[in-house]
Amino acid sequence: MKTDIYFCNCGSNIAEKISSETVTGAASSFPDQPYVKVVDFICSEEGKLQFEESLKAEQPDRVVVAACSPRDHEATFRRCLTNAGMNPYLMQMVNIREQIAWVTEDPAIATEKAIQAIRGAVCRVRLQQPLEKKQLEVCPDALVVGAGPAGMKAALSLAEAGRKVTLVERTPFIGGLPVRFEELFPALECAPCMLEPLMGELLHGDHAGKIELMTMAELVEVTGFYGNFIARIRQKPRHVSLHECIGCGECVEACPAVTMNEFNSNASERKAIDFAFAGILPNAPFLMEEVCVRSRGEECRACKDACPMGEDVVNLEEACEIVERRIGSVILATGAALYDVSRVTGMGMGLLPDVYDALQFERMLSSTGPTGGEIVTAGGCAPSSVAIIHCVGSLDDAHKPYCSGICCQYAFKFNHLISAKLPETTIIHYHRELMLPGKEAHTLFHHAVSNRNSSLKRYVGIADLEITQGDHGRLQVSAKGEVTPADMVILCPAVIPAEGADTLSALLDVGRDSFGFFRELHGRLDAAQSSIKGIYLAGACQEPMDIRSAMLEGMATVGHTLAGLQPGRTIEIEPITAEVDETHCAGCHLCISVCPYRAISFDAGKNVSGINAVLCHGCGTCVTACPAGAITGHHFTNAQIMAEMEGVLK
Amino acid sequence: MTAEKGFEPKIIGFLCNWCSYAGADKAGGMQQPYPHNVQVIRVMCSGRVDPQFILSALAKGADGVIILACHPGDCHYKEGNCRVLQRQSMLNLMLEQLGIEKERCRLDYVSAGEGEKFNRVIREMVETVRALGPLLLPSEHGVMPSDYYASKP
Repeated sequence: MKTDIYFCNCGSNIAEKISSETVTGAASSFPDQPYVKVVDFICSEEGKLQFEESLKAEQPDRVVVAACSPRDHEATFRRCLTNAGMNPYLMQMVNIREQIAWVTEDPAIATEKAIQAIRGAVCRVRLQQPLEKKQLEVCPDALVVGAGPAGMKAALSLAEAGRKVTLVERTPFIGGLPVRFEELFPALECAPCMLEPLMGELLHGDHAGKIELMTMAELVEVTGFYGNFIARIRQKPRHVSLHECIGCGECVEACPAVTMNEFNSNASERKAIDFAFAGILPNAPFLMEEVCVRSRGEECRACKDACPMGEDVVNLEEACEIVERRIGSVILATGAALYDVSRVTGMGMGLLPDVYDALQFERMLSSTGPTGGEIVTAGGCAPSSVAIIHCVGSLDDAHKPYCSGICCQYAFKFNHLISAKLPETTIIHYHRELMLPGKEAHTLFHHAVSNRNSSLKRYVGIADLEITQGDHGRLQVSAKGEVTPADMVILCPAVIPAEGADTLSALLDVGRDSFGFFRELHGRLDAAQSSIKGIYLAGACQEPMDIRSAMLEGMATVGHTLAGLQPGRTIEIEPITAEVDETHCAGCHLCISVCPYRAISFDAGKNVSGINAVLCHGCGTCVTACPAGAITGHHFTNAQIMAEMEGVLK
Repeated sequence: MTAEKGFEPKIIGFLCNWCSYAGADKAGGMQQPYPHNVQVIRVMCSGRVDPQFILSALAKGADGVIILACHPGDCHYKEGNCRVLQRQSMLNLMLEQLGIEKERCRLDYVSAGEGEKFNRVIREMVETVRALGPLLLPSEHGVMPSDYYASKP
């Protein structure tokens, strides 16, 4: 086997400490007696050309480059090998600059150390095998789960780029949490108005044809891998055709069955067939089967008969349907929910009237909510004093140790909206910390502190506060003995992952952090990617987040999708991955348990593990874990590592 | 065992590509000299470091082995460094059984930014192994695994 060593002087960087002549002399005793070529700057344009020409002329079987760190130029020199017609994995670099020349005082010792290291590389490179990047056909279409701000933005932007998108939403409407709000921080924009253009584009815009919206639907299974997923989606029956319904509400009028409306925090009634609330999109009611009198065996077709659009709009017989879609990537945008503050003792949630959580109060503020936007107590009067408690369950080791990030801003929004509707009402904010970052949040804060009817009181721990029933039907807030009456208390709960995150996590094998949010591939570098290749994370399913950040994250996932999967283009699979030798695999599953990327699956028929090269990141942990030695870590095989070690120890 | 005068230990260093190898490059960039005794072998992840590599290194002439990983929680592959930590406790037991001082095999954490720490850890390791003296394999200094078991109640 012919092995050539290319020794770079790096000007004087290496030459000052390591003698190329001594190295050349020593190389004659190395296996295969490699030829040594000394170059001044092998990474320069001229150096690379010389390197390539020399490779073409010498036609070595293996190449060692003794130069700088492979973290600097391994990719550069691999390209040179490719350009010279060689397989790029037949080269090994030796880091004689950063790790020898620059850190060893005595030139004789540095030279000796370099000789050992180069000998190690020569011994290793002889065992290196040519590796090929594989090409894989991929599907460029995407599945978006959740039609809140992040999911809508992602779906629409992908459609604009020409991608087909399946948008799966659990509720009967799109828009997520914000469409339930009247006005938004920091600028008091009307939420439905702000979201309306985006929702309109999504439903009826120029690119809507690319988006398949499935409301009242949920993901039940995902198989396959990046570029080639198959998703199975359960479409629950709405019993109303979205394509034909005109949203007139005649069926609602006719329906005899009544229940409480969960989308108004159960503070108002709805019919069995009804809209979630006024103004939602898609503008069509949905039938709650369990509330419909037909569920009790009664004959009723009042809704169907009332429909002015004919027989086919309301379908009482509609059943659950499972549909299958082929996609290349998945964007999770399942959003957030609020912590159940009845678990925080002393807050009176669920026990005392007129104690509301923030979502209940948002609905009270909304003109489509249970009170039509009026702020009234359970007794039907306007409150003369309101207490707003920040950080309920947040920054609290007994509940959620993190700051929920958005509560201070909406608490001061509440202050503004209460004082606009009820100018004489006093408002007390009980806060632990104040979190108002950025260039816009301060305006609502300054408004609140300059409001003569407002005051802020700081508390240390939630145990310092207690809400109890006071005199004359009023509530009272005790803060370390100081008792203040209040007609209404609004709690700002910790923000938690939306319901169902646990099921999705199990379904997709996407990791979650200790708080239940989906875990990023890297908190800063790859915050929009999950640990599973091709499954991206957008919005508050990942951490508490405002609308602005959720929209940006939605776009970040679009960037990943567009960059990674392109129509008509295959993806390249890195060859530095692990591979199972089926004849030696004992089927113990140990490799599956140590793989952080769900890259290994078990073939029950053959009783062996198999590694999907698309998902493998090449860490080699499974190679080491395998008790049967049945896994090969390409380019980092046991034999290669051992040979290098023996070479340097000789 | 007393340290031999002028003894220069041979040490193998397994460094993960993403944190500690980058930390070694950073130490190089700072151009602060450190002892020459550690020869670095790059692996993609410390989770790839097989205990048999360590035993083999000691058998083939190394006086010590150092494994440098990403800090816990910072692993490029999420948890490879936790695997090496698990294996290290098993390895320590094996080294003890073989009559090899466990200080000859060190696991530590160096991030890509910790050039100074890399320099310090290498100095400490070389001093530790220098003080221990050359590694005499069990058969050479008369301690066999059976002696280990004999010494246990």
